[in-house]
Amino acid sequence: MSWETVIGLEVHAQLSTNTKLFSSASTKFGSEPNTQVDLVDLGLPGVLPVVNKDAFKKAIRFGLAIEAEINQESSFDRKNYFYPDLPKGYQITQMTKPIVEGGSIEIDVDGDKKTINITRAHLEEDAGKSIHDAYPDKSVIDLNRAGTPLLEIVSEPEISSAKEAVSYMKALHQLVTFLDVCDGDMSQGSLRCDANVSIRKVGDAELGTRTEIKNINSFRFIEKAINFEIKRQIKLLESGEKVTQETRLYDSGKDETRPMRSKEFANDYRYFPDPDLLPVVISDDEMEEIRSTFPELPADKSRRYISEFQIDESEAEIISSSRELSNFFEVAVESKSDPKLAANLIVGEIGSLLNKDNIKIDESKLSSDNFNILLQRISDGTISKKIAKTILAEIWETGRNADEIINDQGLVQIQDENLLEEVITKVIKSNTKQVEDYKNGKDKLFGFFVGQVMKETQGKANPKAVNDLLKKALNS
Amino acid sequence: MDNKTVETISYLARLKLDKDKKEKITKDLENIIDFVAELQDINTEDIIPLSNPLEKLAPKREDSVTSKSRKEVFLLNSPESDQDYFIVPKVVE
Repeated sequence: MSWETVIGLEVHAQLSTNTKLFSSASTKFGSEPNTQVDLVDLGLPGVLPVVNKDAFKKAIRFGLAIEAEINQESSFDRKNYFYPDLPKGYQITQMTKPIVEGGSIEIDVDGDKKTINITRAHLEEDAGKSIHDAYPDKSVIDLNRAGTPLLEIVSEPEISSAKEAVSYMKALHQLVTFLDVCDGDMSQGSLRCDANVSIRKVGDAELGTRTEIKNINSFRFIEKAINFEIKRQIKLLESGEKVTQETRLYDSGKDETRPMRSKEFANDYRYFPDPDLLPVVISDDEMEEIRSTFPELPADKSRRYISEFQIDESEAEIISSSRELSNFFEVAVESKSDPKLAANLIVGEIGSLLNKDNIKIDESKLSSDNFNILLQRISDGTISKKIAKTILAEIWETGRNADEIINDQGLVQIQDENLLEEVITKVIKSNTKQVEDYKNGKDKLFGFFVGQVMKETQGKANPKAVNDLLKKALNS
Repeated sequence: MDNKTVETISYLARLKLDKDKKEKITKDLENIIDFVAELQDINTEDIIPLSNPLEKLAPKREDSVTSKSRKEVFLLNSPESDQDYFIVPKVVE
């Protein structure tokens, strides 16, 4: 029997605001426990929550990016449940009137494009953190995270494999970080997802019973957790059993999902409008302000780079997908550096250095100014591209000025034809066997001679001059 | 109002009720529901749901940190705490 998988994702993106959704306590990660807590976050009697303007701006910015409907009037509801890291006994969320409705995200699965529709994206507050290993028989609570603004992004059940789920999550990650809506740091829980997974026979119109896997916080675990769950459900159905609708946890250590005990008792959240919060209206002027600061999106950027600067499509895509890299590239181009050369180095050499150190370009020691100097020196023939890589590696370590490195280490490219001819004569003399083979038709040996000349000149010879002079010498 | 509903409601509110209380509360809840049920007779077809009776809109706050840590004071309010955390019964998945 063949089965098909139906998946819907609920992604929680922590908004990169300075303060919480309803209080002016800081949202900074990693501070001393319970030092970023306000009376409002504790839910003490008599306090009133006041909404954070920037949380709305960021939510709207996301909505605009996915071409969704923005509800200029939205409201908040209470979702009631008891848990020690939720001091008020309810979470404030947008049940009836979310800020964002509809819209879609395009994903790429092994080169195939697919559109995933978005049901809604709403603002809500995060809970605090429970820690269970501080004492043997007690749990402890840190409320620093309580009240941090979250944007919960709910997809339609249109995802049909674990792989697609990962692509969707990656597309979302790229978008929210590009828009500066969320820092995207999954290890700190800034972006995490719940997956609703169900199985049905191919061709069935009705959805199967679904389970919800809670709080998955890495791309790899999304794939593993969903794949485990698909297999588990198929096995149940094929042996004539039923899938129970329940909430499950993914245990990465055991690579399995299991039911969450606390959710055994069917929850009844008893949503109702929060009487402490008036409806929030975003004026036309505010909308206009958000639109006017809306950044150029990666896909548009990529198209522009290709048409304006004639750079490779693959390079344009890589650069435009990151806010930091595209800024870096644009500064270089504005300073009249060769765009193709700049793109080439950013994607190639700089890209691998960034990967190696796992940092962003603005965290490196390579400044835009220094990068421009380096590009100029390649363009004006002072250094070769090969030497540029050596210089980049040194800048990466020390942050030193490119010109200084070139002068100190005598890296200026050799253009002097007389000097190059001397080296070539020497190479030809000491490799008579190879010269003979080359003359007898082994064309591939040309690269060997270039290599020898480069070796003799410590890589400083101008490659074009070497090519021309070598051809002349070998064909004479 | 049956026994099971009362038990569910008291569980959701984390209230432990003994037998006498439960009987009294069942009656009270029935009265409240009957009283509110009168509203069901009103025709609300063309009326937009009102989430708040005030004719004002929510004020918005600038995103700047003004709140300072009052950890020591807050922790004192907890039945149990150490120098950093609120301490609660073991809750673990």
